[in-house]
Amino acid sequence: MLDERELATRPIVQDSVQHNARTVSNIRALTASLFGVAAGTLGLESIPGFIFYALGTAVVSVLIFAFKAESEPKAYFYRPMADLWAGDMFGGLMSFVLTWTLFYNLAKA
Amino acid sequence: MAVGATAINILGFVFLSHAVYSAYEHSLLPSASQPTPPSRLLPSFLDPRVNLPLDITLETLFSVLLLCVGVVLSSPELKPIQWNVWAGRLERSKEARATKEVGVGGGNPFAGVEERPGFLDIRGQRKEFARWVREGER
Repeated sequence: MLDERELATRPIVQDSVQHNARTVSNIRALTASLFGVAAGTLGLESIPGFIFYALGTAVVSVLIFAFKAESEPKAYFYRPMADLWAGDMFGGLMSFVLTWTLFYNLAKA
Repeated sequence: MAVGATAINILGFVFLSHAVYSAYEHSLLPSASQPTPPSRLLPSFLDPRVNLPLDITLETLFSVLLLCVGVVLSSPELKPIQWNVWAGRLERSKEARATKEVGVGGGNPFAGVEERPGFLDIRGQRKEFARWVREGER
């Protein structure tokens, strides 16, 4: 109820929300495969590889926060916690694993 | 900004290619297959066991960080989601006021909202509505 009232007094632009979500998910997909390249080249295995991915996505979140959202995530994301910091955390995981295994095989085997 | 981002991307890509090729060449050395000594700080399941020289490891990490910065900088700008901020920016922008074709664009982007008929016969409308309601009841 409170949420609805908040939306009525301060409406949000659906187009911008979609545009922002698409931009962030593009960045995440690209960087996830880059982290896969790095993890495979370093020869990480099992848990350290996934920890590397988690650290990498955290770094990318901070970069988006600093460069794209101008340190004001409230102005660009409806729910900053879900849309910027935690959102799409696992969306890039598949491409990460793909390039991880590929480059692990290229550089190690 | 766009030129800088492209330069960072190219630089990062060159570094990454060099690091990956170096790692591949290192893996061809006969000494590369020896297992690394276990880490003293981390427990065994968290030990990354990186079997590369330190400079290749650092180059890989550095190039990936560089590429991340480049990707973030070269992606399109985010748009503000609050209606008032977005509309205010649109109203102040030159593109929204520029005339594109005959009859398209030009002037106020909110013309449809701001230009309303100056006189409305409210009483007449009420009478009309009342008549419509009465007819509906019958």
